[in-house]
Amino acid sequence: MSVNSQNDSIVTTANDSTKIKLKYGLRVGGDIGKLIRTSLDDDYTGFEIMADYRLKEKIYVAAEIGIEEKNTITDYLNITTQGSYIKGGIDYNMYQNWLNMDNMIYSGFRFAASNFNHDLNSFTVYNQDQYWGQQLISNNKQEFTGLTAFWAEIILGMKAEILNNLYFGLNLQLKIAVNESVSNNFENVYIPGFGKTYDSGRIGAGYSYFIAYRIPLYKKAK
Amino acid sequence: MKYFKFLIIPVILIATVLISCERDDICPDATPTTPSLIIDLYDASNPDNKKNVFDLVVIGFEDDEFLDNPVPEYVFTDTNNLILPLKTTENTTEYILIEGAETNDNGTPDDPSDDSIDGNYDKIIINYSREQVYVSRACGFKTIFKNVTLTIEDVNNDGIWMLSRQPLTDNQSVEDETTTHFNISH
Repeated sequence: MSVNSQNDSIVTTANDSTKIKLKYGLRVGGDIGKLIRTSLDDDYTGFEIMADYRLKEKIYVAAEIGIEEKNTITDYLNITTQGSYIKGGIDYNMYQNWLNMDNMIYSGFRFAASNFNHDLNSFTVYNQDQYWGQQLISNNKQEFTGLTAFWAEIILGMKAEILNNLYFGLNLQLKIAVNESVSNNFENVYIPGFGKTYDSGRIGAGYSYFIAYRIPLYKKAK
Repeated sequence: MKYFKFLIIPVILIATVLISCERDDICPDATPTTPSLIIDLYDASNPDNKKNVFDLVVIGFEDDEFLDNPVPEYVFTDTNNLILPLKTTENTTEYILIEGAETNDNGTPDDPSDDSIDGNYDKIIINYSREQVYVSRACGFKTIFKNVTLTIEDVNNDGIWMLSRQPLTDNQSVEDETTTHFNISH
């Protein structure tokens, strides 16, 4: 009884003003790393659009959609890969923000799918024994179309609010291939969204740099 | 969740760096690529036994001409086993095999430019059809050889020293280097 009577003397509105309200909204961005690479690397063209939406204080649903074209050129192979991909998953913010700051150091996962084609433009037969000199060169273009791949990603990244609602971010992606189309007498040397594949297994790696804008929808107290 | 971030950060960082740095652009020597033809040499008078040929020189033969250099492994070599590369650009490969080879200096020991090789010259003609098979990103494609036939021809009318040849299977193919493909008796 005595506790209640003490509280009556405190102005209740003072309490409300110290509560921090978090912005909730849809954040939409573009991958500038892929744009820079497109302008610098003759053998690469790509773009990715990303979006995330805050569900809870630390939990975001996130998705990416993109296109890529990549030439894989070695001494023995000349391949053009072309396709699109989509990824969806969850990001978890591990960073404890001060007051009303809204930055992220986050970890997350994605499930991803890609649809793509390979053009095998040319190849030179590999032969350890070079006694007869030049080996067979095939210039008959072979097309492998309608290929798909599915993989999972673990992501580590950061997003920093550099201007009001404007974010710069970067992340690293560790990818584990789950399933991919198998072609007759060929293999997927590159998968859009997944990147380069490796002879040794189903693990891949990637990164992205992006700028994103948050469209604020509502505010909610922590 | 408290320890999660201390684990996940180094794990992802290290894994991504390791993967990106992996080199797989070089075709490892151990990877089976385009196979060579393997021939064992047997004793004609005792067909169960392998028999060496002495002072053997093997030279490629193309468009009715000798290649400039002999096959490096067979220059005055004693051996009962031949490993010879096949052309991936054509359906025929020809070699001259010289038994008991000796350098003839043509009376000018100081001038190697007019030297020739004496010995018993025989020609082998290998005919086949080709298929290109994908190996890997680093090695690209290899050629394998199907329906391989081998014929022996005399050169210089001095009689053949390779008396007969026998493929190891019907419809002999050369797809790898794990087994012998032809036996030749001499």
